[in-house]
Amino acid sequence: MKKSLTLVLILFFSLLISSLSWAGEAIKIGVPLSMTGPYTDTGDNYWKGIKMAVDEINQSGGLLDKQLEPVRFDAQEFAPERVMQGADYLCGKLKVDSIHAGWAGWGQDVRAYGKYTAPFFADDGSQASVDVYRQDKKQYNNIFQLTDTGINQGKSMFNVLMALPYEYPNKKVVIITADDAWGTEVGDTLEKNFEKQGWKVAMHELVPYGTNQWGPLLTKIRKIKPAIIHVEIVSAQEVVTFFRQFMKKPTNSILSYGYSLVPREVLETMGKEADGLIGEVPTAMPTPQAPTPEAQAWLNKFNKTWSHLPQAGSWAAYSGVKTWATAVSAIGDEKKHEEISNYIAANGYKGETGWWKWDKDHVMRAGGDVPIAHYQVQNGEMIAIFTDPPAKPYKDYKFQIPRWIKK
Amino acid sequence: MFIEIIDVIISGLINGSVYALMAVGLTLIYGVSKAFNFAYGSLYSLGGYIAFLLFSLAWINNYLLVFCLAAPILLVIGFFLEKLLVAPLRKRDDWEIKVMMITLGLALFLDNSFQVVFGARMKSLPTMLEGSFELGEFILSYQDVAIFIFSIGGILLFRWFLNNTRTGMSVRAVAQNPEGAQIVGIPKEFVFAATFAISTVMVGMGGILLAQKYFITPTGGWDILVKAWVITAFGGMGSIKGSLYAAFIVGMLEAFVGWHFGMTWTLIALFAVLLTTLAVRPQGLMGKWG
Amino acid sequence: MEHKPIALLLAGIWGIVAILPLFFGSTNFIMHILIMCLIWSVVASCWDLIMGFAGIFSFGQVAFFVIGAYSSAILSAKFGIAPIFAVFCAGGIAAALGILVGLPCLKLKGAYIALVTFAVHMILEPVLKGTIGRALGTGGSRGILTIAPMKIFGFTFSSSNPVPYFYLMLLVAIICSAIIFIVIKSKWGTAFLALKDAEDFASCLGVSSYKYKLMVFALTSFLTGMIGGFYAHYIGMLSTRMLGIDLFVTLMIILVIGGVGKFPGAIIGAFITIAFNEMLSPIGPYRPIILGAMVVMLVLILPDGIVGLVEKLFPKKQHELTH
Repeated sequence: MKKSLTLVLILFFSLLISSLSWAGEAIKIGVPLSMTGPYTDTGDNYWKGIKMAVDEINQSGGLLDKQLEPVRFDAQEFAPERVMQGADYLCGKLKVDSIHAGWAGWGQDVRAYGKYTAPFFADDGSQASVDVYRQDKKQYNNIFQLTDTGINQGKSMFNVLMALPYEYPNKKVVIITADDAWGTEVGDTLEKNFEKQGWKVAMHELVPYGTNQWGPLLTKIRKIKPAIIHVEIVSAQEVVTFFRQFMKKPTNSILSYGYSLVPREVLETMGKEADGLIGEVPTAMPTPQAPTPEAQAWLNKFNKTWSHLPQAGSWAAYSGVKTWATAVSAIGDEKKHEEISNYIAANGYKGETGWWKWDKDHVMRAGGDVPIAHYQVQNGEMIAIFTDPPAKPYKDYKFQIPRWIKK
Repeated sequence: MFIEIIDVIISGLINGSVYALMAVGLTLIYGVSKAFNFAYGSLYSLGGYIAFLLFSLAWINNYLLVFCLAAPILLVIGFFLEKLLVAPLRKRDDWEIKVMMITLGLALFLDNSFQVVFGARMKSLPTMLEGSFELGEFILSYQDVAIFIFSIGGILLFRWFLNNTRTGMSVRAVAQNPEGAQIVGIPKEFVFAATFAISTVMVGMGGILLAQKYFITPTGGWDILVKAWVITAFGGMGSIKGSLYAAFIVGMLEAFVGWHFGMTWTLIALFAVLLTTLAVRPQGLMGKWG
Repeated sequence: MEHKPIALLLAGIWGIVAILPLFFGSTNFIMHILIMCLIWSVVASCWDLIMGFAGIFSFGQVAFFVIGAYSSAILSAKFGIAPIFAVFCAGGIAAALGILVGLPCLKLKGAYIALVTFAVHMILEPVLKGTIGRALGTGGSRGILTIAPMKIFGFTFSSSNPVPYFYLMLLVAIICSAIIFIVIKSKWGTAFLALKDAEDFASCLGVSSYKYKLMVFALTSFLTGMIGGFYAHYIGMLSTRMLGIDLFVTLMIILVIGGVGKFPGAIIGAFITIAFNEMLSPIGPYRPIILGAMVVMLVLILPDGIVGLVEKLFPKKQHELTH
């Protein structure tokens, strides 16, 4: 019994090790994304961007004449020990030279990957991550956020709502968010900003994921008759059911969906039915017409490779890989992690739309050449109507007053 | 205020009818065979996905046809699941826990298979009925009315089946006294499998009926399982009438708590009421079998 | 199984586990997995004790684990209690809650108990994230991102140097398994068996089912909560994401593989399941499919898990020992 147990154990662990060790001249990069569970879809969006960047680099002769070899790790549902395990596996065991993640654990990832030196790119969009970073900037020097925080995105949503060429019938707003870190961060920011401007936050409701019966809330909303309803739940089922149940008897309210407009099923399911909804994508390439010819070429290429338009995160993750590759070429040695991180922090990266710059918190703040794009659904398509900061209309696209608003 | 309350009551009624349909299948298996089916939620999703596949066929364009085709498929699946997975365990002393484990494994298998085959994104079905009618201040969509009628109709049909058909009566006989039923010549094993099959059909049909409103996702069945579980325990496991009452009480409770206190409190309120009920009546509202 | 082989088996398992760092000590990743194996082996053993031996379908084990983890983190952060004491306080809090949950369960049966205990799991997430949780210091949906590491006599057990923590956890796991072993061996164990097999008869003989059930609730939630505290101080961060279905299912698989009511099967099960889970990880979405299929097959083919298989393979030896 004991013998067989030892054998079994040795067999398991030797298999474990042998499956992990590789030979050959390649630069390994770690890709910890959610491959199973509820975050699978977002993980997929990031992966498509990363894969595209890696393939591009490999096809053009590799990086420093070496091929890139992405190693994937299933981050599952981002339980603390899972995040840590990913860091220990990719950085500790495989000694990868960079890590490209998307949503990665909202602060937990900074702690886990900060123990190592390889540059780490995440798309957390969370103040929690920044707070952890600030605790020890030297230790976390290798951490880079590809997206601005929820606080700044919330501010941006507010700015654009105020900038819309539309006269609000009253100053009442209803905020409904998911009870996760992202939702509360955006919700609290919006509430603060609205109140500062003299608006009345008539209802600020946290809802758990999986909510699909909105009757009781809509009853209250119909009584309040707010000028704006902001919904921030990044999951298609919740926002589609909300919209449909709202439309049974709509109020004269602008429906602002923030980042919840992003899951592709929202538009796939509703198509033109969703016309009028507004939302935002940070670190985004505005569609349908990109700001520069290079960006347009990138959009077309993505569309050809994956046969759909990029989702939120794809371009950010792609740019993360490119940023790192540029820095490695400049330094000339992928193993000099510290210098590469310093190079990125100091120089940034010139992408398809212009410069990406990281601030002192290693966050790619929105603005400049990579602003936050604000969309409205028009004719079943996401049309960029504003970019922010500073809030300005994008190209010739115009905001349309939603069909449910009656004068 | 008055209008608002009526509005909330309407939401409660619609929710309640949905819950009733979900809970009846679960309570049936438990009542008859004391088996707890953890894969119940996955079978709900399975129904939705079967309908999704059927609708993707060119010649299928209405719900009636989908119901008629999906029912026998689900019936066969349910029957063989019981025969292959649950029946072999029944001989053991600790079969109750083994059944929970095997159905949990089945749920894991099914949910993730859905994800691999159909993708993680949610799928939708065409709406059964468009539009809504207004009654003064109140709006009712035809879809909700259809769901209400189908749920209540389904349950009534099922009750009729239990009380008036030979198979139905043998199901009741086995539920009341398995040994006795066997002595008078009712094939117990067959009844167990048949109950499992019927319950699969009911939950699968529920999946099809609700997919047009709530969509189909690979892991969407868990919420259904938990709700159905709460309601069956609340109403008394094994009691169909109890589940029916419990479903409407829960629907109303959720609607009122959500309206008055906020959506995050619904789950907490639900379990508080459940615990209080079970503390006073351990067998639930109308449970017969402890 | 009889008691002597259990003791021998336990000694054997821990003996083998104790020398594993000789081979893997330099690889943090594998040491980390081994530490997690130790933690889950304790949680699973507790679950086995309450479900397999006492026959109470408690599904709240993950909840008590998370309660323990949060309590310990909050106690050490807010009240400055040293982590080594905080974990025991956390165990105490979990035990108190365990008794509280156990009380309504006394009159309930089977699937009802499963529901009530699972309800604790279900409402824990909204409570930890909501206003109550935030007031207590759970950090709401952000979680707690900085937790003091374990420190004993000035020595800091940090997660970047896992070998010392591994031996600390091994010690804890050995003590926990010894406690569980003693419980099974004592008259508690006999009472459990009597209550499980024939509750009415046993209570006629004067075995108080209430007393024993409450005691087992208290004990298992104490140990689970305490190990949760160790988890918190090891990982250094906490979030409600532990309450996802993933961990619950993993623990269930550990029991299926190890064998329900076949202590110390749960310990062997933990090591096999976690290692297997890691090996399957590269195949992404196919991993849970294979795990699910495996559970179904194992319940059918090996209903008593690995320990059951061993018993079947060496029935003679068993026979001799029982005499």
